[in-house]
Amino acid sequence: MTQPSPSSDIRRDLVALLPRLRRFALTLTGSAAEADDLVREAAGRAIQKSHHWKGEGRLESWLFSMIRSTFTDEAKKRRRADANAADDFPPENSRPSSALACLPEGLASVFLLADVEGFAYAEAAAILGIQPDLFAARLCAARLSLAAAAAETSERRA
Amino acid sequence: MNIPQPSPLELRLSAFIDGQAGDEERHDVEDLLVNDPQARSLHDALKRGADLGRRAFDDMLKEPVPLDLVRTIKNAPLPRRAVRLPQAPRPTLSFKPSGLQTIAACALLFVIGGGIGYMIGGNPAASQFSMLSMPGASNRDWLDDIIAHYRLYARQTNHLAEIPAERPADILEWLTTNTGVGFRIPDLSDSGLTFEGARLFAAGGTPVGQLLYRRTDGDGDGDVIAISFTKLRPEGNRSIEEIRNDTSLVSWVTPLATYMVVGPSSAADLDDIAAKAAGLI
Repeated sequence: MTQPSPSSDIRRDLVALLPRLRRFALTLTGSAAEADDLVREAAGRAIQKSHHWKGEGRLESWLFSMIRSTFTDEAKKRRRADANAADDFPPENSRPSSALACLPEGLASVFLLADVEGFAYAEAAAILGIQPDLFAARLCAARLSLAAAAAETSERRA
Repeated sequence: MNIPQPSPLELRLSAFIDGQAGDEERHDVEDLLVNDPQARSLHDALKRGADLGRRAFDDMLKEPVPLDLVRTIKNAPLPRRAVRLPQAPRPTLSFKPSGLQTIAACALLFVIGGGIGYMIGGNPAASQFSMLSMPGASNRDWLDDIIAHYRLYARQTNHLAEIPAERPADILEWLTTNTGVGFRIPDLSDSGLTFEGARLFAAGGTPVGQLLYRRTDGDGDGDVIAISFTKLRPEGNRSIEEIRNDTSLVSWVTPLATYMVVGPSSAADLDDIAAKAAGLI
């Protein structure tokens, strides 16, 4: 079957993009189960608002923004529900066990959007709802942290 | 973990890697990389970090996606939207009665209504009349028959069609003669559907012709999609798009017949298939 256009049925596009949407969600939540819940919620919103998507630009950009705004909304709800919560992020032991675990919170999503998904600074900053200058600083910090982790790994091997 | 604040040099080199630096800045950084070993090593470290991160993120794509998440998305209801299907043209009558005509019509209706009420009141079989005047759930019954036949035969691998696809002339003659509905066999190969054959059955006491297609590629490989047609009319003569018993039904009405595309509720493109089939059948 031919690849559907984004306007024909967004559900098929969502399923096709699902691995990348989960990966982005994981950079925000830090745990796979929470990432799946976040993608489920954001996909539901995207389907209901699919008429807002006019086919301009990359669909991923719109979906990543949807996931980020859903995550922010959920974090606000959690904060209201639990006034004692220290921050929006899960405890350290629930973060991914890969090399990405070495990244300070908030840097993984920046790195993913710029170095893996290939978004320009301005677009990626808009997805995350931050200023491009702050985005550039966080991206640099992410690369430095990863470089330090790589150096540490090679030292251990040696 | 706190976010470390990069130095101005680190920021410049990071922006240089992404091509975010202007022409002048790019030349400056290139000179710096030639002349300053510390800047060169920092530049290499940033690139090494980026490579490590990219590999780690690429590995994450290899993890399987939970099936229930896929199902939730595929079966999520779409927001309601208008599907343009062929329908009988609406008559454009302008009805603007004058005041006198309105009063006369009201008086006439009052007299007729009073007369009917008087007759019903004086008739001992009135209770039977009230039962006759109730339009029952017959409309639902015959659509349920269509769904039931689909569900019964969609699970058949060897007995799906009554007349196989290799005998199109036989199909056209058998179904046209019995249903009284003229049709062509739509070629839906663009939608990944292969024609498997046809079947005749009865729904609501009226013959229904059914063309059966099997999906041969795409997400729902192997799914059966049926196009049915009959002279029966749905309630209100309107198109229907609904899901019953995990089965989706999209119908459209022409002056001569009612057509329906039936498929599993997970088939997201049923309305597209209906729109395509409407132009071809």
